[in-house]
Amino acid sequence: MLKEQLQKFSRIDRRWIFLLLAITLLVPIIKPIGLPNKTIAEATSRVYGNIEKLPAGSFVLFSLDYDPSTRPELHPMATALVRHAFSRNLRVGVVTYIAGSTGLIEELFARVSKEYNKSDGKDYVILPYMPNILAVMTQMSSDLYGIYTKDRNGIDVRGMPVMKGVKNYKDMSLIVCVTGTAILDYWVAFVGDKYSVPVAGGVTAISQPGYGPYLQTNQLKGLIGGMKGAAEYESLIKQPGKGTSGIDALNLAHLLVLALILTSNIILLIIKYL
Amino acid sequence: MKLIKKQIPLAIVFITGVFTLVSYYVPNKTSIDYIETMNKWQNIVVAFAFLLGLVSLFFSHYHKIARKADGWGYSIFVFVGFLTIVISAYVSGGRQMTDAGLTPLGWSFKYIYNALSGTMFAVLAFYIVSTAYRSFRIKSLQAFVLFVAAFILILGKVPLGQIIWDLALGWTGAGVDQVIEWIMQVPAVAGKRGIMIGISIGAIVTSLKIIFGIEKQYMGKD
Repeated sequence: MLKEQLQKFSRIDRRWIFLLLAITLLVPIIKPIGLPNKTIAEATSRVYGNIEKLPAGSFVLFSLDYDPSTRPELHPMATALVRHAFSRNLRVGVVTYIAGSTGLIEELFARVSKEYNKSDGKDYVILPYMPNILAVMTQMSSDLYGIYTKDRNGIDVRGMPVMKGVKNYKDMSLIVCVTGTAILDYWVAFVGDKYSVPVAGGVTAISQPGYGPYLQTNQLKGLIGGMKGAAEYESLIKQPGKGTSGIDALNLAHLLVLALILTSNIILLIIKYL
Repeated sequence: MKLIKKQIPLAIVFITGVFTLVSYYVPNKTSIDYIETMNKWQNIVVAFAFLLGLVSLFFSHYHKIARKADGWGYSIFVFVGFLTIVISAYVSGGRQMTDAGLTPLGWSFKYIYNALSGTMFAVLAFYIVSTAYRSFRIKSLQAFVLFVAAFILILGKVPLGQIIWDLALGWTGAGVDQVIEWIMQVPAVAGKRGIMIGISIGAIVTSLKIIFGIEKQYMGKD
């Protein structure tokens, strides 16, 4: 009798699981628990440290390559990184190789630049989307104006104060790539290693383990991983944002996954040995 | 005919491949100029590839609608979506935001593309959780090792999991973050490094085969 019931339970209609997950995600979004983020990963601290040690006025290139599908994980960390750069009075350049990220970049800079009173062209520049990533990366090693003559609004970039003295990678202090794709690998292999430019990154939690080799060899100067990484970075710059608030929902969803895996396997054991 | 269809393309690939390879290792003005020219050519080719892809997509969906094939109604949305974005981009002059706020293109991105793309990806979470319950069966030692590693990683990735770990296993003296660090730095890196080296060797071998004309699949069957 029990065996039959357990067998029936193990074949539960997936819609019940969907409902359970929906409730698990909705509750903390409506009423946040506010659990503290106890630890900060060393890789996250390394990104923070690399930006922190740059003198004011240094040029940092952000490669923001994510679209709305990975927005919940990557947009908070990109926001935190730009806030950090602006708070350190660094000059910021933005490139993208994902067409779907252009709107997110606009939204981010329209919001964060106001917080720090930064202006387009003087303190930061958003370069237009380019489709051919490897050609662009190679071209930027000699003369970036060979490929980026205008910003995304069609304004000539050569005369912009933010670009003063910046011609190629030698004039950049750090490159930070936030992506849910393999574009960070390209930055490491085709730019960081070849032209000795420090490269750091921010990636989705699922792709984070894949960057271990680059971190060990210091080819990657730091890595922010997933929403937890975003929450860690927000706590480092002492500005809680979407990463910190999203971690509650992530808490419960992760534990739900674990509980479901355990439950299904306990049921399997009972059915097998009962 | 053989000269035009086979020997000239092979010679172009050989010369371009060798020049590009050499220019990577010889940083002087000639090689930089060569690479810059190639970059411009590549961008032009990519632009044409976009156009070709678009025409191919339109033809494919047009035929689907004309033949009233299964799901032909969805193909209409390819044209509707394309026209919506192209017209709004044209009206906005390609800009998503001005001092006055969102342009029609910015609005389309924020309230159509953003929402649709986010929704599509969010649906994955439901399937992953459902699959975890129905398919993650520990039936072998390998599956058990995978489960233990996944269990620790999932637990350690969230503050609540860290609290649970400290309560249950705090007496061991090993924090979940230390265990995760070891998993990520030792077995995960070892596996990943092996895969990366394998892929890289494969890519180098394939590239050399193409450059030296051993691999000719890209030229088609004729």
